[in-house]
Amino acid sequence: MASSPTSPSSPTGSLQRDSSKKDSGKLGWVGTLTRRKKQEVNELETEGRHAIESPTTPITVAPDTFDLDENEARSMVEPASLENPKVKELQEVLLDWINDELAELRIVLRDITEDLYDGQILAILIEKLADIKLEFEEVTQSVDSQKAKLSVLLDHVNKLLGIPHHRAKWSANSIHNKDIVAILHLLVALARHFECPRKLTSGVTINMVVVQKKGGILCPQKVIEELTAPTEGEEQNGKPERDAFDALFDNAPEKLNVVKKSLQGFVNKHLSKLSVDIADVDSQFHDGVYLIFLLGLLEGFFVPLYQFYITPSNKDQKLHNVALAIDLMRDSGLKFYAKPEDVVQKDLKSTLRILYCLFQKYKNLK
Amino acid sequence: MEDIFSASRDGNLRFVKTWLENTSNDLNQGDDHGFTPLLWSSREGQTAVFDLLLSRGARITALNDGGDNGLHLAASKGNKEIIQRLLKNKCPVNGINNHGNTPLHYACFWNSEECAEELVKRGALVSQCNKFGETPLDKCKPYLAEILRDLAAQLGQDLKRIPYKDHHSKLGRKDDLRDIKSRLSWIQPHEIELTNKIGKTVTGEVWKGKWNDLNIIGKKLAIKIVNKRISRDFSEEYSKLRIFSHPNVLPVLGAVNDSNHLIVLSQYLPFGSLYNVLHEGTGIIVDHEQGMKFALDIARGMEYLHSLDQLIPRLYLKSTHIMIDDDLTARVSMADYRFSFMNLNKIESPNWMAPEVLQKSPEEVDQRSADMWSYAMILWELVTREVPFGHLSPMEVGMQVATEGLRPSVPPGVSSQMAKLVSICWNNDPTKRPRFDQILPILGKMAQ
Repeated sequence: MASSPTSPSSPTGSLQRDSSKKDSGKLGWVGTLTRRKKQEVNELETEGRHAIESPTTPITVAPDTFDLDENEARSMVEPASLENPKVKELQEVLLDWINDELAELRIVLRDITEDLYDGQILAILIEKLADIKLEFEEVTQSVDSQKAKLSVLLDHVNKLLGIPHHRAKWSANSIHNKDIVAILHLLVALARHFECPRKLTSGVTINMVVVQKKGGILCPQKVIEELTAPTEGEEQNGKPERDAFDALFDNAPEKLNVVKKSLQGFVNKHLSKLSVDIADVDSQFHDGVYLIFLLGLLEGFFVPLYQFYITPSNKDQKLHNVALAIDLMRDSGLKFYAKPEDVVQKDLKSTLRILYCLFQKYKNLK
Repeated sequence: MEDIFSASRDGNLRFVKTWLENTSNDLNQGDDHGFTPLLWSSREGQTAVFDLLLSRGARITALNDGGDNGLHLAASKGNKEIIQRLLKNKCPVNGINNHGNTPLHYACFWNSEECAEELVKRGALVSQCNKFGETPLDKCKPYLAEILRDLAAQLGQDLKRIPYKDHHSKLGRKDDLRDIKSRLSWIQPHEIELTNKIGKTVTGEVWKGKWNDLNIIGKKLAIKIVNKRISRDFSEEYSKLRIFSHPNVLPVLGAVNDSNHLIVLSQYLPFGSLYNVLHEGTGIIVDHEQGMKFALDIARGMEYLHSLDQLIPRLYLKSTHIMIDDDLTARVSMADYRFSFMNLNKIESPNWMAPEVLQKSPEEVDQRSADMWSYAMILWELVTREVPFGHLSPMEVGMQVATEGLRPSVPPGVSSQMAKLVSICWNNDPTKRPRFDQILPILGKMAQ
């Protein structure tokens, strides 16, 4: 097993980083471990420490080095798990993919944490992938303005991905702190969403240590963070295996109308209570409004009108509505595969998947 | 050091006033012998303090550990003015203490002619025996016994001795919340025992259980991860829900705040909520008088909450959030508060919510006016005994109230006064709705 913190096969292996740029602060030692090796001495020392500490010995932390409040928890990467070949492979796949995407702009990344944490290249990557133009100052130097830029950028990303803030496993802070787990999560999500042509390494996990302060004592606990699903390889870019709708669309388009008709009957039975009549399943759900109504009728709640756009006039508002509807459904424990963007673009398969999922749960509801 | 009990005893009106300002003070708490401030003021004839306590909702039926009510104490000290006040407010005239004595026993024993006459005129029985087989008349000096016997006969009392019966009346005795009140610190999960789940909403699960031998309701908030921010917000908001200072407000007693659970505890009241009482038949008969009493209780509780310096947000008024105490007092439950970090997207009962609450974000809504709308719904519920919009689903109610001006219809049987009151309280224009202090006198008149 490799003993140094960076992969020797990585193109960045020989790159010397500015060693005066010390990571300070609470996550400093995680940063240290993900950073370049600097000198042979350092390398040897690190190797020696790894051999002693990992993987069997838990991390011991002296309480005074961590100023945690009572019950506060903080997580750290277990250093050895970054040496896992799968983690390295995943990093390389992502790096290669990004470099492919950015090749025409003549940008070459060497390291996913060092090159992305400040948000500059990340912004360019997002603009390229989503084919949008973000209004940013070209270069920002101060930490605060970089973080501010990152958080605006991540707002966009979360909207694109249809992931509500509280579910996102990344934040402006964690990315700026070069938190490798947050950055990997973000890149994996982007790779899935933008259908990265390379196959993501499947079943990649990182061991984390979550330290919580209880009664003045720091209690470490091991947690396994899953970066990619065990079946990642078999799935097509994050999409679940082919379902009935894939089969229906490919093999029996003549039956599509029957399915549509019966779903139409189902939704109208409920929506009619609000004097809504769906004549065209293909298009009438795309702005999310009727999805929210339908869900409220089925699940027994009302959604206050300020939470969404009842007469959406642009794509952003529609996206907001559909993302809200999907979030409400997920919150109610419904499982289905659909991206807000597809629904807004009137992708029939996505719309039908959502309606069918509701139908299955509520077909017997009067 | 001065405390509320000695202040009530000594008539220190200023101290009592200041003490009542603090919302975490419960004016119905008793001292080591169960004397509430009201009982102390009754015993010592402190009429000014007595009046103040009464106006703030002190329980007139409070008993001390010896089973004495205010009349027993006032009679033994010959405080006629207090006796008149107590009787006017329906303190039981023939209340029996642990010795089997009625207030009249004491008035007679202490030879207080005026008080004894007053009591007899208001229905005190001259022939009621105590544990030792003595009637009040046996305790009198002969001349007073004669006066009282004549008076009782004139009033049509049967002068045959009424034997003592051991009816250990529990009425008026309350669970002692003294120990609990001082507990601001978090409760450990193992200290409480949640035995049965009695409900579930989008905001959490409601459990019945025990904490330190006290029957409690524990509300487990539906929250997946308790992080530091949530824990802090919870702690901040929770402290404002400990309102012990008003009889028509049911405080939160304590809470669990650890990394796995947020649980809010309040007292268990067997009658349940106003919703239970009105719509689920708990055996309580709600006649016109009782209905008006509930209406007054709720309005008093709301008036008090609206008078607080810091208005408590997200305390959605509806009949499931009104709890009914064992003496049939209605109390606004603070445990049903929605914490700021909880899901605000899903509203399960828009039936009591004002149109503007359903449409606009909380910052744009005047909460006091919105509460008045909700109160109108409860008034309607009290006079019709129906659930507002009971036949519609939440989504239908929300859409129709918010966008189509839907209102329940007032049936013809309802008095014109009430119909008018309801219609001004649910005025479509929030600025035209009255305040609780404005409708209290109207309700008071209607209740007579």
